Amino acid sequence: MEGMFAIGAGLAVAVGALGGGIGQGIVGGKALESIARQPEIADQVRTLLFITLAFIETLTIYGLLIAFMLVGKI
Amino acid sequence: MIFASALQEPLFTIADKLPVPDLIVTEWAIILIIGLFAYFATRKMERVPRGLQNVFEMVVQWTFDFFGQMLGESVAKKWAPLLSTFFLFILVCNYSGLIPGAAYIDGFKAPTSDWNITATLAIIVFFTVQISGFREHKMHYFGHFIKPMPLMLPLNILEEVARPLSLTLRLFGNVFGEEMIIGFLLMMAPFLIPMPMMALGLLTGAIQAIVFTILASSYIGAATGEGH
Repeated sequence: MEGMFAIGAGLAVAVGALGGGIGQGIVGGKALESIARQPEIADQVRTLLFITLAFIETLTIYGLLIAFMLVGKI
Repeated sequence: MIFASALQEPLFTIADKLPVPDLIVTEWAIILIIGLFAYFATRKMERVPRGLQNVFEMVVQWTFDFFGQMLGESVAKKWAPLLSTFFLFILVCNYSGLIPGAAYIDGFKAPTSDWNITATLAIIVFFTVQISGFREHKMHYFGHFIKPMPLMLPLNILEEVARPLSLTLRLFGNVFGEEMIIGFLLMMAPFLIPMPMMALGLLTGAIQAIVFTILASSYIGAATGEGH
């Protein structure tokens, strides 16, 4: 049973980080692209970039918290 | 373990009724430090600022400009003091847990690594958003709960309630996760190995403070903006 908790904790972080990582990569790439195209809006893009990254990161953090809870049960 | 709050083991109790855990005392110390700095910076104000006053004027000017850009001048004037206080407080809280292994020493833990304290901050943001929207639009503010149609009322209310929840868990998860990882590394190798992770902790602490403030200001901006 404890093994299942360990596998679950690993999966929670792994799958959570997978989706979040892909999403943040797309967001960062697009932001760089738009700044390279229009350097004068860099400040606005940066603010929006941080907000978007924060939203995506929250989902990964949920996975991390679940993992910590599962590790605590072992 | 993770959601077991520090409130279970109070450091001392006020009048046998109000338990005070060590995290609250750390918080008081941080408030005192920021307050003393601000007091000494503005004690002898001069027209041409020098030293500490110069630094504080720069910070105030920068935050007012930044929030003015996001919220518009008149709204920013009302809420920039609160928002920059959030930023300073969270930044100092995050950095107060930088001592190696601080998460396992009572009183040296970063206050933001306990979800009670991040929840408090998020609830303050929740009420600030409602009050700022009501102040700006009066009764019209409540109209946005039934937009675009009354059927959306439950979803709109759910959205408002989900915001403080995600603010709480984001700040708490980041700081707590960072501390846990440094703790694991310290257990495995006490020297040098945790260094890169702690350097990353410096970055995370600043970014999380900025993100919390930006999100709070964008919520206020959405409540006070056009479209009600």
